Amino acid sequence: MPIFSVADLRVAFGGVDVVHGVSFSVESGRTLAIVGESGSGKSVSLLGATGLLPPAASVRGSVLHKGDEILGLSAGDLRRRRGADIGFVFQDPLSNLYPLKTIGQQIAEAITAHRRVGRGELRQRVLDLLADVGIPDPSARVNDYPRQFSGGMRQRVMIAAAIALNPGLIIADEPTTALDVTVQASILDLLKRIQQDHGTAMIFVSHDLAVVSDIADDVLVMRAGHVVEQAPAELIYRAPRQAYTRELLGAARLGGLVARAARSSLLPALPSMPDLLSVSAIARSFAGRSAAGGLIRPVLTNISFTVRENEIVGLVGESGSGKSTIGRLIAGLDRPDEGSISLRERIYSRPGVGGIAIDRKLRSDIQVIFQDPYASLNPRRRIRSILAEPFIIGTRLDAAAIRRRVQDLVRDVELPDDVLDRYPAQLSGGQRQRVAIARAIALEPSLIVADEPVSALDITTQAKIIRLLQTIRRQRGLSLLFISHDLGVVSELCDRVIVLEKGVIVEAGETGRVFGAPRHPYTVRLIDAIPGKVLRRNPVPERIAAHA
Amino acid sequence: MPEIRALASVQDHVLLGHGEVVNSYRSLLLRALLRERSFRIGALIIGFVTAGALLAPVVAWLLGHGVTEQFRDTALTEMGLPTGPTFEFPLGADGNGRDVLVRTLYGARVSLAIAIPATTLAMIIGTAIGLVSGFLAGRVDRVISQAVDVALSFPFIVTALSLLSLNRGVDGKPFVAPSLVVVLIITLFSWTYFARLTRGLVFVLRRSPLVEAAQTIGASKARIIMREILPNIAPVILVYWAVQLPTNIIAEATLSFLGVGVQAPQPSWGNMIAEAQRSSLYQLQPWFLLGPGIALFLTVAGFNTLSAGLRNVLDPHRRSG
Repeated sequence: MPIFSVADLRVAFGGVDVVHGVSFSVESGRTLAIVGESGSGKSVSLLGATGLLPPAASVRGSVLHKGDEILGLSAGDLRRRRGADIGFVFQDPLSNLYPLKTIGQQIAEAITAHRRVGRGELRQRVLDLLADVGIPDPSARVNDYPRQFSGGMRQRVMIAAAIALNPGLIIADEPTTALDVTVQASILDLLKRIQQDHGTAMIFVSHDLAVVSDIADDVLVMRAGHVVEQAPAELIYRAPRQAYTRELLGAARLGGLVARAARSSLLPALPSMPDLLSVSAIARSFAGRSAAGGLIRPVLTNISFTVRENEIVGLVGESGSGKSTIGRLIAGLDRPDEGSISLRERIYSRPGVGGIAIDRKLRSDIQVIFQDPYASLNPRRRIRSILAEPFIIGTRLDAAAIRRRVQDLVRDVELPDDVLDRYPAQLSGGQRQRVAIARAIALEPSLIVADEPVSALDITTQAKIIRLLQTIRRQRGLSLLFISHDLGVVSELCDRVIVLEKGVIVEAGETGRVFGAPRHPYTVRLIDAIPGKVLRRNPVPERIAAHA
Repeated sequence: MPEIRALASVQDHVLLGHGEVVNSYRSLLLRALLRERSFRIGALIIGFVTAGALLAPVVAWLLGHGVTEQFRDTALTEMGLPTGPTFEFPLGADGNGRDVLVRTLYGARVSLAIAIPATTLAMIIGTAIGLVSGFLAGRVDRVISQAVDVALSFPFIVTALSLLSLNRGVDGKPFVAPSLVVVLIITLFSWTYFARLTRGLVFVLRRSPLVEAAQTIGASKARIIMREILPNIAPVILVYWAVQLPTNIIAEATLSFLGVGVQAPQPSWGNMIAEAQRSSLYQLQPWFLLGPGIALFLTVAGFNTLSAGLRNVLDPHRRSG
């Protein structure tokens, strides 16, 4: 008998249906993955089923937990089940941990909320849990505060709180999305191990079929509040029946990196191109927590590389590796402590105090695409006015000419004309990032620094933006420094890759070579951590392909 | 950087659900405001008070009672005590036989005429200083922050009393109109709040992708402040204007109550309350005290309700659910 089953679940907000009849169930010891893009209703379904939506939402259908109908139960009855019988792990461990309590207290709270336990026993249980989720030296860390933990460690703490009472069901909503790829791999391993050790049922929500492939027994694909496809994981990955599932699979880059990287290196090579940007021996450090104490934290040490004309160079590394700092230094938003940066053999950035004085020509030659299109577009201005800005500042064109240029720009990034009169809030994430790209190419730069330009986007949108960047590179002959933590995206787009670890370049070379035959152990670790390794190890067997 | 996104998305939800091209952001905002109940109630009360202030001369003409005219034979009893509400004097009379209703309505004019310019002036000065301090940061910011701290350390009443008495010459006549001095004193004591608020908001925005994007296309500092930062923080500052206004209305009343603000015979809620209290006549004629008291309460409550409504609409983080 399934431990948790949902039948014909419908959720509506203010008369608008967002989930249209979803059914699924999960048994002990098995993992159900719910996959869909943002707005597909995957989280809303689960929150609705467990009574975590605000009262304004109307939830109908049937939700059975251990055979009891729990939809419509009183808040108190639901609370007794949540935490004790159903454990939750959410996406952002920082905002779900209370900053002013030690992690020990917070895990203990998960226990004492449901049981009366003596102090000594409680402490022992908390220490056991911390050891269980792989926190080294639990008795030393139990009195630490959340800020003293890294993102991955915080997520381990959240998991410890979720499994504190040995729940029969764990609901994990995008638990690894905010984490680095190597950390993500370790959290997935942890969840899998806990589930096997305790025989728990798990519902794992994700936007990425690749992440899910290592852990799921069954997969449910959702889109716009409907179930698209529901099948055992083997069938979903080997023989998807729906076009949308195939699209998601294509975007998830499950084919493995090497094959595609090799393909991209078969493209006409451009070794004869002259150097455009040259970064020589730059270093940058920031004052640590106490500025007066003189705690200096080096972020970059002795970084040197070049970007050739019409080349896409990928800069990969985990968070804290200093890759964004390199982007800011090149864009002239910050100055190095040592070394210099030059564009076409003209040095424009070297150590000094205050901001950098960069002339107008050079300013328009280097442009930036930021990670978060929500934050980099002024919400108070229409797209027309945002896109006119570079022309007003950087050129002497009159109003009519600027109008024409803005219209051309919008067409270049494949947006409809009517976005011009909208505000950023009225556009989707992908459309906003297209506007940001349009702004970056407005002044015809020779180099664009793209800092994680697709990591805030849905996976199918990512693929479209990547194609757009390729088209623009081909048409305009510009160079791109592509900063990303996502090796899959980098292998698809970049000619060369630079791998950064803790502010030091550990490996650099042609994309095909670096991903095909990595030389540095860190690169090997990064590639190994890419989700989907189970599938990579076992290529599609003929028998299942035939089954479809 | 969640706070940056929060700031950038302030008011974004006003646009939610409007997929179509929006002709005017302002009309959309106005519609959202009118849907908010506390905004409607606040606006209604303030509209009522403003109408009273504007119509004061009309009421005076209808009743035939000038604002400083004394009606010793009709408004006072044989013992010289003020009458209560009658048909001729709707809120009764004060100790000198003047019409309390007419004086209360004229008092509204004084309150608004002092508090609105003072708050607006404080907002302009404070915002300008806060913008410079927050955006340039570093040494400029340290100097300005120190100045703000010094300004905040002056006690309001004592400073106001001494400034106003310095304004008096040997013959007892003021050099400058006392109401102008009251405006300046209130400005002096409220710009600091605007400066601190603005500085904090700018501090969050100055390192945001929004501003860095403008920097990479070569926008000047002045252009970034005026076109990128100011439009994004303006709503928060306007809300604060409405929060500060009732405080300043009370400040004016306080100064008039202490006898250093608006001078008799010109009516102000502060000096009317002071007179009622000093002469103890409110025990006989409660409306002498209640008239200006209720008017003051209504105005302050109206602006507080209005600012609460503004905040609900403009700041998505305060909305429930």
